[in-house]
Amino acid sequence: MNFAAIKTIARKELIDSSRDRRAIYSLIFSVLVGPILIGFMLNQIASQERAAHEIKVPLVGAEYAPILVNWLRQQPGVEVVEGPADPEASVRDRKSDFVVVVEKDFAEKFRDSRPAPVQLYADSTRQNARAKVRRIRGLLSRFSGEIAGMRLIARGVSPSLANSLKVEDVEVSNAQQRAATVFNIIPMFLILAAFSGAMQIATDTTAGERERGSLEPLLLNPVPRWQVVAGKWLAATIAALLGMLMTLVITAKVLSKLPLEDLGVRYHLGQTEIILLLLTVAPVAMMAPAIQIYLACFAKSFKEAQSYMAFLVFGVTIPGVLSTFYPITNRPWMHPIPIIGQYAASMDILGGKMPSVVGVVLAAAASLALVGLFLWLATKLLSSEKIIFGR
Amino acid sequence: MIQASNLRKSFGEVHAVNGVSFGAPDGVVTGLLGPNGAGKTTSLRMVYGLMKPDAGTISIDGCDVIADPLGGQKRIGVLPDLSGLYPRLTSREHIRYFGELQGVPALELEKRMNQLIEALDLKSIADRRVGGFSHGERTKVALARALVHNPQNIILDEPTNGLDVMSTRAVREMIRRLKAENRCVVFSSHVMQEVSALCDRIVVIARGEVVAEGTAEELKELTGKATLEDAFVALVGPQGELA
Repeated sequence: MNFAAIKTIARKELIDSSRDRRAIYSLIFSVLVGPILIGFMLNQIASQERAAHEIKVPLVGAEYAPILVNWLRQQPGVEVVEGPADPEASVRDRKSDFVVVVEKDFAEKFRDSRPAPVQLYADSTRQNARAKVRRIRGLLSRFSGEIAGMRLIARGVSPSLANSLKVEDVEVSNAQQRAATVFNIIPMFLILAAFSGAMQIATDTTAGERERGSLEPLLLNPVPRWQVVAGKWLAATIAALLGMLMTLVITAKVLSKLPLEDLGVRYHLGQTEIILLLLTVAPVAMMAPAIQIYLACFAKSFKEAQSYMAFLVFGVTIPGVLSTFYPITNRPWMHPIPIIGQYAASMDILGGKMPSVVGVVLAAAASLALVGLFLWLATKLLSSEKIIFGR
Repeated sequence: MIQASNLRKSFGEVHAVNGVSFGAPDGVVTGLLGPNGAGKTTSLRMVYGLMKPDAGTISIDGCDVIADPLGGQKRIGVLPDLSGLYPRLTSREHIRYFGELQGVPALELEKRMNQLIEALDLKSIADRRVGGFSHGERTKVALARALVHNPQNIILDEPTNGLDVMSTRAVREMIRRLKAENRCVVFSSHVMQEVSALCDRIVVIARGEVVAEGTAEELKELTGKATLEDAFVALVGPQGELA
């Protein structure tokens, strides 16, 4: 059998759509939006963390507590500055994230080994100040603990007597969790890239062809109908793969510019991961255009087809959105479900784990079976007189 | 040579084609003449294998089109009713695309393409994208891509519909040239002047049936009318006037 027609059709469709400026712009836009969003979110989290590590401490009444001020100055990443005249108003008006106020009798009480009064002004409803407030509170209680220890030693008592509990911080850091959630959406953008990359070709070469009245002349050529469908599908698949590759490369570039170590993130996206991810998700890039072509065959116009595509994309994002609420852990039942199977395997790869080969193969097999099914259905549709001539 | 016998096609309750038979020999221009909605386009769609008749047989140069539609399509070049082009491809790319789909070898394809560009006077627009073309220019490109595989049989569905004088002339010239090359040309029209100027034989179709067949002279004789138009009206009946 001669398959030259498939190549001819695929090449024509790729040339045709590469000249479609709107298609190119929408591809670039859809490929950029994911990585940029991911980069923006991670950067936001990282800068909040960094802000907590390097804090300015606005302090009122430094002259009453030189010992505290000196101690604070010795801590890494801490800078003590002159506090505002009205601490409460300053915090309320968001001019300061917090203010430490040392009261007049600090020195006297400190000397007498009585609790020395320090006030910490903060607004607990302010999300982005929380990390800083936590830090200063931690610093103050460490100062208190250290001084208490020294006083006990001076009186010949072991400081450990004063501590009935030894609390150890096992940080399941908030920031790390939030960063992980952000990473969770990388596979979603990857799968979306397949759909948005293939969309233009899938619709333009079916519904668009009907709308232009160019379908009838095309089908007048002695080419088996399934080869016509296969050629269009091949072109759309190449576009989908391109969309995925671009998304991955740009995401990797964005991530390499971010101080992920600050977040304690164990995700990694290097060359090996990119290749593994592409291999894992490639079946989706083949499945997406098959479904899109089938759906678009029903549409009489490009616009109508695009509204079908929007529904499809909506359906695809559901697992991604759900995974931010219920983190997807790789379970065996997920493997044979296209998209979810690839999704779970991608999470493993991003987490630095080798995904189960059986799982990846099952997901690929299920996706390819759907490719066959939808291409067969599309061939049926393109053989129907209602579709060829119906306008 | 195209031979269609007793073609029938219904769409639900509507009998669009109700036993149409006609023969189109080589070296002859056969015209299908009929009012709009008479069943010309449906008949032609069955001949070029995109519609399956409910009954009847079609053979093109001995190939049974119903059993082997692709075999039929190799033997014919068609300018269908709807000849949509791809706005972002050039004239040359259109012709090459169809040539490759028809399986024309590369070297021959380039030669054939240049011949057609020459013959249809497409030279100045050969490498321009068809997006901004006039109706006449688009029809000429569609005609060129339909003829790229040098088919023995040519079907043109209302080829001069809405064309300006110059484009009409180019299409007519092409039809005469094809006839001189001893090819079988079938074209449909509802324009009387078109048919009388070009056709050797006329098949008059009305209400899904062939109502008469012969040369223009024979049709006039048959109806006893002085002009082809009067003969046509007499054959088609009052419905023809409405159309």
